[in-house]
Amino acid sequence: MNLKTNLKISLTLIITIAIISIGLKVKPILNNFDNFNPEKVYKINYRFFFKSGDKSISLKTYIPKNNIRQRISRENIKNDTTLSFVRKEEIGENIRAIWKTNAKNTYHSVDYEFVFEGKDRNYSIPKVFNIASGKYRKYLKPTQNIQSDHEMINELAAQLKQNTQTDKEVIKNIFDYVYAIPSAPIITLTDAVTTIKQNRASCNGKSRLFVALSRNLGYPARIKGGIIVENTEKRTSHAWAEVLINETWVSFDALNNHFGYLPANYLELYQGDKSLITHTSGIQFDYTYKMDQIHHISFLKMNTEEIHNLPGFSLWHLIDKNVIPLATLHLLLLLPIGGFLVAFLRNVVGLQTFGVFLPVLIAFSLLHTGFISGIAIFTGLIMFIGLISYPFDKLGLLYTPKLVISLTIMVSVILLATHFGIKHNIAWLTKLTFFPIIILTISAERFSRSTLEDGYIKAIDKLFQTLITTAISYLILSWSWLPSVLVLFPEITFLIIALSTLLGRYIGIRWVELFRFKPLLKAEK
Amino acid sequence: MFSTIFNKKSISASGVIGLNERNIKLIYPNNPKKHYPLADNKILTKEILHRYDIPCAKTYAVVEYNKDIKEAWKSCNQYNSVAIKPANGCGGDGIKILKKDKKGNWTNHGEMITDRQVFQHMASIIMGFFSLGSHDKVLIEECIELHPFFYDIYPQGIPDFRIITLDKTPLMGMLRMPTDKSDGKANLHQNGVGIGIDMKEGRLLEVYNGKKYSNHHPDSTFLVNGTPIPYWKEILEISVATARAFPLNYLGIDIVIDKNKGPQIMEINVRPGLEIQLVNKTGLKEIIKRAI
Repeated sequence: MNLKTNLKISLTLIITIAIISIGLKVKPILNNFDNFNPEKVYKINYRFFFKSGDKSISLKTYIPKNNIRQRISRENIKNDTTLSFVRKEEIGENIRAIWKTNAKNTYHSVDYEFVFEGKDRNYSIPKVFNIASGKYRKYLKPTQNIQSDHEMINELAAQLKQNTQTDKEVIKNIFDYVYAIPSAPIITLTDAVTTIKQNRASCNGKSRLFVALSRNLGYPARIKGGIIVENTEKRTSHAWAEVLINETWVSFDALNNHFGYLPANYLELYQGDKSLITHTSGIQFDYTYKMDQIHHISFLKMNTEEIHNLPGFSLWHLIDKNVIPLATLHLLLLLPIGGFLVAFLRNVVGLQTFGVFLPVLIAFSLLHTGFISGIAIFTGLIMFIGLISYPFDKLGLLYTPKLVISLTIMVSVILLATHFGIKHNIAWLTKLTFFPIIILTISAERFSRSTLEDGYIKAIDKLFQTLITTAISYLILSWSWLPSVLVLFPEITFLIIALSTLLGRYIGIRWVELFRFKPLLKAEK
Repeated sequence: MFSTIFNKKSISASGVIGLNERNIKLIYPNNPKKHYPLADNKILTKEILHRYDIPCAKTYAVVEYNKDIKEAWKSCNQYNSVAIKPANGCGGDGIKILKKDKKGNWTNHGEMITDRQVFQHMASIIMGFFSLGSHDKVLIEECIELHPFFYDIYPQGIPDFRIITLDKTPLMGMLRMPTDKSDGKANLHQNGVGIGIDMKEGRLLEVYNGKKYSNHHPDSTFLVNGTPIPYWKEILEISVATARAFPLNYLGIDIVIDKNKGPQIMEINVRPGLEIQLVNKTGLKEIIKRAI
């Protein structure tokens, strides 16, 4: 009794402290709630170095601006005092940064820094497009490098349009054609016609050809320029295409196979067939783009400092100081939640599973493999290993050696499948290594034993219940805000202990027992 | 579905106990974990039963090491029938019933069995083949001869009575019978049937096959409902004696009736299943309330 009271008191204490600590943070967090929800945040730095000659010189580049999927903030310009800086809004929506100097024969450096927050955008493309209004006429005209009126373009465009029913199919054919052109790291300018001729191109040739073909068939199209942001330092920029579909510019990247999709790490800088940097000719010039990923919480408008200063306890310093890899930290934080979920499904709902925590671990694997293919692989592996260990069961082997055989077969299957998947480019086969092999093997073993002891109907029923539990775990664990919420409110982990204690004292009828004892429950009515 | 889930009244009124409540209210407080081996290990169970002179099959031999197999088997030659069991087996796995034929040769299910085969079976028990890989012991005991009462209902396999006791009081009982589909086993999960028992009168009630209730065993025409159980008083007496002998207060006691010696304890169970409520059409909570 004494132990019970002590436990009660300490639990109440834990809950109270946790709730107070959570309560302290709720208000500032709600106040800073961010609707933008960026997926990726980077600090980007354009660094230019040049030496002026004996006349005045200028350096121009495009700088980004906000739109629905990218947000630019904390712009910071550092340049030596001899340079003058202007920002110029050009016709056609682009913004240009221009540095000028009259100082002769001197070294100059420019650091243009800003924070980029991006999210991806998936466009839905209708089958048939409305006719574009006249103000977009200029996006149909040929240019020097986008020769949409050239004979070769005519011929190819006509060929691609053949046997199509809808506008979407036409665009898809153009995309597939351009995507199929082998890619090559060609830095020099490649125009649309040359791209067809040499059947080899980098992003600039491919995007020009895509635009030329679209324009030829009457779809307003343009080049889009920017940078694929990565956690590195590099000099390459990127170009892709946009087609005007029902008053919306829709992105197509025929180099990286993004059809009507713009990934979160694409920094949009300018539109039109331009070059990102231009400078007075005949000067010594060098540049680099330095990009650093910034840890962020997608639904918070706070920077690292501000999150640090939140009242109460959070795990932000673990992320900020890179103490634990982010993925590992997320996994650790999600484990108790997943475990509690399984406990609930087992003790309150009454689902039976192979292995207590197997569903949670499989749910984690599904985050990497994708739900449908992951579930298919999981079921396949369990059934396959179960089936294979059947003859060994019949042989009458001892338990542990038999388990080793199953484990070995499991490892071999996974390695073979991965090999086969890479060789023949079958993406889902290459993802088998994401699964927790040992736990999967033990579960497969339990499955095969269950088919022997309870019959295969019961075994498959239990496998099915395992799948349901896994699906529910996946549904909750795949919620993208959950890890961030747990980082901000690690107290939730303590609440799980309290909740599990309550669950551990639960004596109610399990939901499935309602069906099992139906005759008894009915009799009383 | 949710209306049934949240319909608390009908659940509590029916007095049904679910797995959660069985574990928390009945098993954990009444059966200390350290005493589980007394029930799980048949050799330990029988030691206590013998000590208290509670009727059960006579132990002929216990074999712990391979080297003792031959000696033990030799000593069994004086008997006409034996049962060989793994001490820690579950679900009836690894049990072999051996009988001598007219010529004095050992047989199993009517087929001759060589000494070598018997040794092999015992060796695999010791290696843990029927107890998930952990070392086990062989129990060789007297073979029970079923009372004709069972044959009237259904003549094959091994039936048994299950009596639930709480605080040394028998609460509920059922008779488990094999069927044509159950491969000689009386377990309800393996297609056996359960027959309810009127505890006061000592009479059988309806037969439950997991789906339906009827007055007959599914594979026989014998009218079960209302049949008096022979030795009922003794069955209750040895249940109470067994419950008294063990430091476990919530038990499922398995009993068979021997043709010559009357009711015998087969084994005891610390985690008895809840199906017995369905078989008797009564919730355990109701019965416990009445008993206290």
